[in-house]
Amino acid sequence: MQEKENILDILLKTKQAVKEGNVVLMRELSNRTVHSASIYGDTDNIAVAVIVYMLSKIVERKKYHEYKEWPVFFQTCMNGLSIAITSLKKDDTEKFSSSLEEIRKRVGKISGNLRNYIKDVFRKAEINKASRIYEHGISMQKTAELLGISIFELAEYAGSTGIGDVNLSITKDIGERIKIAKEILA
Amino acid sequence: MNLIIMDSSSIISLAMNSLLYLLKKMKKPSVKFVITGDVKKEVVEVPLHIKKYGLEALMIQQLLSEGILEMPEAIKINPAEIAIERQKLMDTANHTFNARGEWIRIISNGEASCMALAKLAEERNFNVAVMVDERTTRMLCEMPKNLRAILESKLHTSVHAEERNFKFFSGLKIIRSSELSYIAYKKGLVGISDGKQLVDALLYAVKFKGCAISSQEIEQIKKLG
Repeated sequence: MQEKENILDILLKTKQAVKEGNVVLMRELSNRTVHSASIYGDTDNIAVAVIVYMLSKIVERKKYHEYKEWPVFFQTCMNGLSIAITSLKKDDTEKFSSSLEEIRKRVGKISGNLRNYIKDVFRKAEINKASRIYEHGISMQKTAELLGISIFELAEYAGSTGIGDVNLSITKDIGERIKIAKEILA
Repeated sequence: MNLIIMDSSSIISLAMNSLLYLLKKMKKPSVKFVITGDVKKEVVEVPLHIKKYGLEALMIQQLLSEGILEMPEAIKINPAEIAIERQKLMDTANHTFNARGEWIRIISNGEASCMALAKLAEERNFNVAVMVDERTTRMLCEMPKNLRAILESKLHTSVHAEERNFKFFSGLKIIRSSELSYIAYKKGLVGISDGKQLVDALLYAVKFKGCAISSQEIEQIKKLG
């Protein structure tokens, strides 16, 4: 696992931000892990980015808090974060990874409609983070592989962002590219 | 023989817009559309098990059955040969940009296999273009310095580029599903009569399904008529 201090700082701040309901800070913290995830292709960094983003979404959506399953699920997430923090401080990377995995597994154990909502939020968090990593310059297939999502999902999401509109992305005169296409398809 | 090697991203843009029929209409004895085994895995084998994308996977599989899309064996290029070249290219690409002392792994098997097949086909004197809608591979081949600039600006850290690697990727001809759609439009193959709005609709459709084309480029194409 790369950049332990950075992840530790992110998790500590996330825990505080969750308590304060500071969704904006949580999104910023999630984005910070994307930089590391893009460089190192490290699944723990990616898992942290996804979980922090997922937390920002579920904290933001107050209607989820009304479900009777909410308090247990929320407490599980907070406990998971605490275990992740303690494990990281002790350099126990195995326990750190398993604590992140446990948060994900807990989603499958929630009963009722809340499970479907949270599962959906988790999936969308993965796609959102994938799109950010692709935006950082990692290829679409490589990114999909890192996040364990389908390239179809990533393509659809990335297409709705402005990634293709970045000026640096224009690498050839459009007339020249059409000429190539005409010649090859002639 | 003209060969268009299709990356997953370009097939996906067409499939998700129900535009795969354009490949049927544009296929000729002198033009072959080819995909690698890695790409087949990404656009057929994996999505066949995802309910949301199963239909697209089946439609692509159908094109393979009909011989509209072909595998490298059709041009007598052995998958084992592609795998060797793919590994070389992937290792080189993934040792080209370095940040914080770490090589950034920018591409995976699918993209590398397309470039590998293109190189092998060029050696056999095919006239080759790679159709790739995703941005990173295209930038690596055409303007790697810009890719370094994007990595640097997004990662907020300095990125070193191993510039001697650039030559391994340069020279490949790259097109996107947007150019294919435009040519299809020009040839009257789309089958929709409202020409004025059609080119705009086609190009934005592929853009919104992941084709990395800018709105500025789309406006330039529209001016071409």
